[in-house]
Amino acid sequence: MTVKAFSPEWAKAFKDEVNKSAVYKAAGKGWKWSVGLVVEAEPDKHFTDAKGIVLDLFDGEARDVKIGEAADAQKCDFVITAPYSRWKEVATKQLDATKGMLQGKLRLKGDLPTIVRYTKASQEMTECTTRIPVEWPDES
Amino acid sequence: MHDPNPGRMARRKLSSRSDAAVVDYADKEPSAFASMLGGLIEANVEGRPEKQADFASLVARVGIWVTDIDEGVTLDFKGGKLTVHNGLEPGRRLTIRADAETVMSLSNLKIGLFGMPVYYDEVGRGVAAKLLRGKLKIDGLLPNVVTLNAVTRIFSVQ
Repeated sequence: MTVKAFSPEWAKAFKDEVNKSAVYKAAGKGWKWSVGLVVEAEPDKHFTDAKGIVLDLFDGEARDVKIGEAADAQKCDFVITAPYSRWKEVATKQLDATKGMLQGKLRLKGDLPTIVRYTKASQEMTECTTRIPVEWPDES
Repeated sequence: MHDPNPGRMARRKLSSRSDAAVVDYADKEPSAFASMLGGLIEANVEGRPEKQADFASLVARVGIWVTDIDEGVTLDFKGGKLTVHNGLEPGRRLTIRADAETVMSLSNLKIGLFGMPVYYDEVGRGVAAKLLRGKLKIDGLLPNVVTLNAVTRIFSVQ
């Protein structure tokens, strides 16, 4: 079932995908920090208000994924920020998240050694987003 | 539940910090990759005492070129100080050329007995296989194995 990008339905689908992933379960073992994704507004792409996605990840499991304000996501231990169209590129496999971070297309805030240690887990989380059929506001 | 003190942040410019900063940047606008590598090494050196002896004694210029984003840096280790340059600068002793995923794998190499990187676990085997297949190239490797091992120890987050 197709869900609207970055909607509560998308959040639930994302959480389910993460929890279905044996790769994430193994690679995320030991993770205990909150992650916030900030999706910046791009009115010309019909994405008018910034959103924050708060991921409660713990020891290889997604306990909760919530959609809220950008400010909610900015309070997390790790924050990744990018405009709407960049996140769309990630979710449609046009941009690899690791490359995006090295190029500054995705801006990361948080303890670098920790995030590098969990590269495989973050790659698998990106993979999970690509498995969700999404209705994009600039395509509808 | 969550770590209240997540530690060092990426994309900080260190040039305005005190002289005690172990990492600085040669360019006014460090690239995202330069900031990330510099931040990673700074966090490693400041947070992990076992890295400090290598960092204090290493004097070498090491280039890292990420083949799939066409960006690179030069790490100029100056015995207890590091200057990070955007791009490849002359006078490098070693130059590592690999894709982004492999560069991240290098920082996930475990360090084993006698400070040698571990090439027999999953990450190590992956790195070794890429070296054999030519997907990871290290210019200047043979005469500078000791330098490479020291850089790997400083770089490793494991």
